[in-house]
Amino acid sequence: MIPSTEAGWKVRLRNGNQMVAEGAAASGCRFFAGYPITPASGIYKGMIDNLQRRGDLAISSPDEISALAYCVGASMRGVKAMTATSGPGWALMIETLQYALMTETPLVIAVVQRLGPSTGGATQGAQGDILLTEYCTSGGYTVPVFTPSTAAECFELTVHAFSWSETLRTPVIILLDKEVAMTTESVDYTILHTPPVANRVVHHGARNGAAGGGGDRNGGGSTRMYDFTDIADVPPFIPVGGPLKVTATGSAHNKSGELRKNDPETLEMLRHLEEKILSRAAEMETIAADPQEGAGTLVLSFGITARAAREAVRKARAAGHATSFINLKTLFPVPEASLRTAASGVDRVVIAEENMHGQYRGVIRHLFPGADVRGVNRVGSMITPDEILGAIV
Amino acid sequence: MTDRGTVRGQATTGRDGTTPQGVTTFMAESCSLPFCKGCGHGHVLRKLNDAMVRLRLDPSKVSLVTDIGCIGLADSLFSLPHTVHTTHGRSTAFATGIELADAVLADSRLKTIVMIGDGGAMIGLLHLVNAALLNVDVTVILCNNYLFGMTGGQNSAFSPLDFITSTTPRGNMIPPLDVCGLMTGSNAGFVARKLATDPDLGDTIADAIAHPGFSMVEVVELCTEFGARRNRLSGTVLRGIVESHGQSLGVLTSGTARGEFGTVYSGKFPPNGEKAGGRGDGFILRKFNATLDRRFGIVIGGSAGEKVQSAAATLCEAAAMSGLHSSQKNDNPVTQGTGFSLAEVCLDPSVVEYTGIDSPDAVIVASDAGAAQLTAGGIFGRCRPDTLVVCDADVRIPDSPGTIVRPALRKTFGPTRAALGALAFALGRLGLFPSSAFIEAIRRRDADLAGMIEGKAGKLASPEDTSSTP
Repeated sequence: MIPSTEAGWKVRLRNGNQMVAEGAAASGCRFFAGYPITPASGIYKGMIDNLQRRGDLAISSPDEISALAYCVGASMRGVKAMTATSGPGWALMIETLQYALMTETPLVIAVVQRLGPSTGGATQGAQGDILLTEYCTSGGYTVPVFTPSTAAECFELTVHAFSWSETLRTPVIILLDKEVAMTTESVDYTILHTPPVANRVVHHGARNGAAGGGGDRNGGGSTRMYDFTDIADVPPFIPVGGPLKVTATGSAHNKSGELRKNDPETLEMLRHLEEKILSRAAEMETIAADPQEGAGTLVLSFGITARAAREAVRKARAAGHATSFINLKTLFPVPEASLRTAASGVDRVVIAEENMHGQYRGVIRHLFPGADVRGVNRVGSMITPDEILGAIV
Repeated sequence: MTDRGTVRGQATTGRDGTTPQGVTTFMAESCSLPFCKGCGHGHVLRKLNDAMVRLRLDPSKVSLVTDIGCIGLADSLFSLPHTVHTTHGRSTAFATGIELADAVLADSRLKTIVMIGDGGAMIGLLHLVNAALLNVDVTVILCNNYLFGMTGGQNSAFSPLDFITSTTPRGNMIPPLDVCGLMTGSNAGFVARKLATDPDLGDTIADAIAHPGFSMVEVVELCTEFGARRNRLSGTVLRGIVESHGQSLGVLTSGTARGEFGTVYSGKFPPNGEKAGGRGDGFILRKFNATLDRRFGIVIGGSAGEKVQSAAATLCEAAAMSGLHSSQKNDNPVTQGTGFSLAEVCLDPSVVEYTGIDSPDAVIVASDAGAAQLTAGGIFGRCRPDTLVVCDADVRIPDSPGTIVRPALRKTFGPTRAALGALAFALGRLGLFPSSAFIEAIRRRDADLAGMIEGKAGKLASPEDTSSTP
């Protein structure tokens, strides 16, 4: 039997956590602060190994709150920063995530899902943090969330996450599940995809603050902290320690970074936080679609469950059921247009995810009016191909 | 950094972050202080400003990180340094992050100053402790006015005994935290407790900022709105309050032999080290041809510390050398060093999709603990007649439809090599890929071990035994 990958075969045995760490290094990440937690500890260890020998900074933090706060400080100083955690640690990070979003500070957080609630099951897989990661902000701002289903996708989507975090100046989550994070796989590097690496655009304006303006902060003609025209523009970044003055606050603020209440510019800033992301939703999208002509059913899944789904779709097709499939590597912003297009013509949409009620199904089912939307869900162990097949045929 | 030194009246920054001429003020010239009449915060901030001017700091190399609360308004009053207004209690952690990153940047020499109140210090005590332990170049000015002023005068962990606050109407019954003692115990290099009214407050703040590494100045004040009035106190009694708790005033710790974080870190991990992301080594290339033409699931059960999971990894490596894809899932008790150790391996000529093994193609049982865990997982009942079960001769397993073979794994290979030996033995019968691939995979780690396994596995007696007990 000749392997299907005859064209090239340079393999490493790697798990998802290790590939996240490799992806971060390939992205130019220079800062990692970590606190151990199963099943995310492998990323922490991988970053210690990858960054320290390069002379970059990887360090332990005394808790998850500190870990993310260190990352925010480091990113404000101008370096690409990352941390990794799981449900209990993520709960502690949510305040600081909002701060990063509000101050337009890029960073990447790898959240590796395990069984919840509370400490739940540290070594048991789950896909139950979809809503907890996305809807973690007061005000319901969009946090980009990418979900790898293989070790190779962990690499690819970590690079993707860094690039979009830097491009948008916003925190981005790469949402793994324990099975993807801790299962070691043969990864063929000859076909490993590296998305484009983006770096934040740094502001090169004249020094702001009082120096040139005669006393008042951000006085006449000086550079503003959030310097943009269109609401969806991403303002160029001003690093702490650079020649331009940083004025950052987690409170509502105007374009100068000054704390303000309901003035029009401050409200525009809040809408800007959302618009800069939503306006680029289509560009950010990374879904892997496998359509079939004349399909009556569309199967949607992500993470480890996408792999069972792919097998189920294969079996369904072999049995004569025309079926389309999408591995949703981007959960948020919801790839609405692509999902609507993929579902046009099908009368059934099957959404498989390893959680109790179908968290993502609840988010997207409105996109499929008239279709029979079915969930395949389970708590405590992986969904099998046959369970998904049962919903298709 | 092209226009460094363009700040008014300022020449190029020196290596120590200072300028020959400096600026005349870091504060907005027209700023009006937002604090209550009689509050010490404005006074403290002016002393901080004086200290920065006197130290001739380059404003672009100063970051002022503020907490929540009245003193957290400080950032809006400083027009020259970078200002970062943060979340409650976390200011020191954000500041730590700024300084940690600064440690590995070529243009490093940022001074980071935290303004925090006693409420913020209470919620963020761990951040203070850790900043001190790390010895990052952060100066914390802790304005302790014994309560939460901004939210209505609630007590904090710093409130004096018997202090009347809105939430201790009969007097505070919990003694106050000695934060300076805590910082000293955290190896802080510079710790001082000063009264806001001390004439040399500015000198102490300047010394703290000049200190290379972590420093903290606790400045004791009285909240005029909620502290002074309710307790019928004036600023002149502050010294008595401090001393009544056995706390000292002045510079309590100054100077340590410990290096600032950046110096220590760059000593261990020099900047501009290896550039490679670790992608240039350790590839497995194809050297053998597999005969396997379908997915194949192997479950291995043994005991912690007996190299079960590394045996499975060797199997995957050999499979990769034969052009096969693999997945490996491990399981063990959370304490890791005791009890069972399991590995589930899927081999496939195509990419492994679903990584579960509903019905195993082969089962390896290397120890009693492994057998017990596999039994609990129902593995033996899910075997098919063509499932090869290789079980140590002395280990008990339940009835199974599988084809059971019982070589003396532990006696032949030793407990820590039983799983590896069993795999070599099983591969000889299964013919998924050449046995020589497995031996070579072992040899890549340990040549002697490869020889031992190869020799013993080849000669291993393999009594067919379909009964479930020895």
